[in-house]
Amino acid sequence: MTGNALTKLVNDLASDLVFLDDREIDIPASGKFMNRLEAIAKAAEPLKINELIHISTGLNHILEKIVFGNLHDPELGYDTFEKGIVLMQEISEKYEQTGHYQGDIQPFLNAVVRVIGVVVSTDSLCQNDIPAPVQGTGDRAQIQDVSLVKDFISEGLEYIDEIEVNILNLEQDPDNGETINTIFRPFHSIKGVASFLNLEKIRDLAHNLENLLDKARNMEIRVTPPLIDVILDGADALKAMILQLKDEIENQPVKPLNIDLLVLLQRIQVVEKSDKEAPLTQKLGEILVSDGLLTEIDINRAVRSALAPPVKKLGEVLIEEGKVTPRQVSQALRKQTEQATDASTLRVDVHKLDDLIDMVGELVITQSMIQEDLSRQINADKNLMRDIALFSRIMTSLQRTSMKLRMIPIRQTFQRMSRLIRDLAKSAGKPVVIEMQGEETEIDRKMIDEIYNPLVHMVRNAIDHGLETPAERIRAGKPEKGLVSLRAYHRGGNIVIEISDDGRGLNKGRIIDKAFKKGLISNAENLSDQDVYKLILLPGLSTAEQVTDVSGRGVGMDVVKQAVEKLRGKIDIDSAAGRGTTLSTSFPLTLAIIDGMIVKVGSEVYVIPTMAIRQALRPVRDHYNCVVNKGETIKVMGQLLPLVRLYDLFGIEPLRRDPWDSIVVVVEGENRTKCLLVDEIIGKAEVVIKSLGAGLKHINGVSGGAILGDGRIGLILDPEGIFELSEGKI
Amino acid sequence: MDQHLKILVVDDFATMRKVIRNLLKQVGYENIVEAEDGITAFRALKSQKIDLIISDWNMPNMTGLELLKTVRADEELKITPFLMVTAEALQDNVIAAVKAGVSNYIVKPFTAEVLNEKIKKIIEKLA
Repeated sequence: MTGNALTKLVNDLASDLVFLDDREIDIPASGKFMNRLEAIAKAAEPLKINELIHISTGLNHILEKIVFGNLHDPELGYDTFEKGIVLMQEISEKYEQTGHYQGDIQPFLNAVVRVIGVVVSTDSLCQNDIPAPVQGTGDRAQIQDVSLVKDFISEGLEYIDEIEVNILNLEQDPDNGETINTIFRPFHSIKGVASFLNLEKIRDLAHNLENLLDKARNMEIRVTPPLIDVILDGADALKAMILQLKDEIENQPVKPLNIDLLVLLQRIQVVEKSDKEAPLTQKLGEILVSDGLLTEIDINRAVRSALAPPVKKLGEVLIEEGKVTPRQVSQALRKQTEQATDASTLRVDVHKLDDLIDMVGELVITQSMIQEDLSRQINADKNLMRDIALFSRIMTSLQRTSMKLRMIPIRQTFQRMSRLIRDLAKSAGKPVVIEMQGEETEIDRKMIDEIYNPLVHMVRNAIDHGLETPAERIRAGKPEKGLVSLRAYHRGGNIVIEISDDGRGLNKGRIIDKAFKKGLISNAENLSDQDVYKLILLPGLSTAEQVTDVSGRGVGMDVVKQAVEKLRGKIDIDSAAGRGTTLSTSFPLTLAIIDGMIVKVGSEVYVIPTMAIRQALRPVRDHYNCVVNKGETIKVMGQLLPLVRLYDLFGIEPLRRDPWDSIVVVVEGENRTKCLLVDEIIGKAEVVIKSLGAGLKHINGVSGGAILGDGRIGLILDPEGIFELSEGKI
Repeated sequence: MDQHLKILVVDDFATMRKVIRNLLKQVGYENIVEAEDGITAFRALKSQKIDLIISDWNMPNMTGLELLKTVRADEELKITPFLMVTAEALQDNVIAAVKAGVSNYIVKPFTAEVLNEKIKKIIEKLA
């Protein structure tokens, strides 16, 4: 940019001013001037003509005042603006001709100060020292239009539901600005309309929540669990207030708001002030409590007095009160910093992680192939053997570590569930206390989403049917509030998730009665308690009405069972009459590995999931039956089970055709059991599941492939699919 | 006088559009078109002659500012008056709108009178 071009910019600005009507700068004109000033300042910068930059800053301030409508003397403002432009022309011309300007611009800047009432800062164009404009005439619109309020109620409630859905997404992906925006917007809209309708409480709360989210969106504060909690609670409070409004309009008795708005607003403020840098660590108070120095009551009291003006730090308050010594506080603070550094994590794209895990899987296979080749050589090099052994040990731990990468704590799922429990309990009129244990237990990220639905089903049952009403509980001598506990822990290669309630428990007698009537059992004498409880998982026993009178449990428990089994998990039930029920589900930690039995049919090798296998046997000839129209059966432990000849289904030439010469594997599907005829069982192995690729996605009877130790590929069988194939459904 | 003006009200919140519609009716503007976001608004602008746009700032898909910029960049709509509705005159927002060529802005909540004043001011300039 040359001085010449700069002069032209300034002259353009001047001519714009000349063509202005009535010596009045309106908003569109301000916008135009602002853009011109910006261009001038930008052009002046590399030429180091600071006078021009300062003047344009000053003029910008005047324009801002005009835009915000708080210039006390518009006439003076216009004059000063005009003088500024003339001065700018002079400066740019001087620079063009002589390369410098000797005049003093300070008197002009002082004049600007007189106009706008603040010191012109010479460093920045956007100073936030201009107060927000006075709103309108101060006299708010009085629209008490009932139809409008009704619209607001229905649309507002809709928006709040939307918030609840989106916030769960936010929990999964806390840094996503767009997600924050989708939550921000409804609050914003609710606030806007509420302000027109004079609904001050709603407006204030929505406004506060909106501010909080705005800060989160601008990365001023981080999205932490407390923030999400406070937003959810805020949304609940808004919902409650809107429902109150609804009752009011419909002339219904208005339910009292059992939410303390002041406390909520305070909580919002606390979250808002939370430090961006150290949000994920334990709070000072929490550390002091866990060190056993203070009780939570002490902390809560101190927090309140620390927040009340004059605002102090928590540590200061505690020391002043003599509760702790300064040394203890500083120790706790040090711990806090340590935690902050501990928490250093790295966010990695899941796909990259999956690729890595995949490659490690391939590596493991290759390694086992080398090992097997080597073991077949008679004169293998001793050193090589030793090195390979070491190599495979490292491989094993590499595989274990890479699997761990995908593991995340189950905490989020628990939090989602606990919220659901609270809501369900509230709507069922059964107050509950929620207890959580083992939130840090880790599970494969992919599993997290999969297990959620069955768990929700179980929780729903526990609250709907397991827990008694408060009145019943008091009569039974139990605390009024029910207890629902969620527990998670690792056992073997599985994660166990327990959902317990302290409700009425299952009624054994009635379950047996019902099962008997339905013909699900022939006599109850041989059944253990566990077996009886498991009956509620059977389809016949779990259609809604029946179950409510059997035991008050089991809406779609068969559906739950199916969902759990699909994830290769299983359910155990324990219950004590009058003391409650525990549903314990165990899932494999990952869906990437399957425990399977490797079988051979002809020259082909298949993997049958161990979970589905009941037993494997070689039947005696007498136990084989072939009935016309019924097909072939094998008698296994007194039951006649259909025989499925795998070689028929897959068109393979088998080694043996007679069941009594080969082996049958008894396999359970969703609600039936069949015998699969195979030539021999090779062994049992944990295999890494590989998909067959997009082209072979829906092959019935086959759920995937696995590369076996000898490098061969074995198809993993899907029992249910095999059964369907054998029944000719496909 | 200018009561025949065709006004486009853009807001994602239906109740808000109704609020503004009611306010406009109070001061005699009856010819009102609504759009629920910037994209539909722009489509409406291209398909019919609109005399004034009243748009919310914060909307999904296309924000009020984006709509303003799109309108100003359009040869036909360059001079269509544009009144921006903002929540609390957030300084940066207002300045951004002004630089993008907004005709005026109005802070929620507002009365019918204030709205009318702003509209008159904009229209007078055009005449």
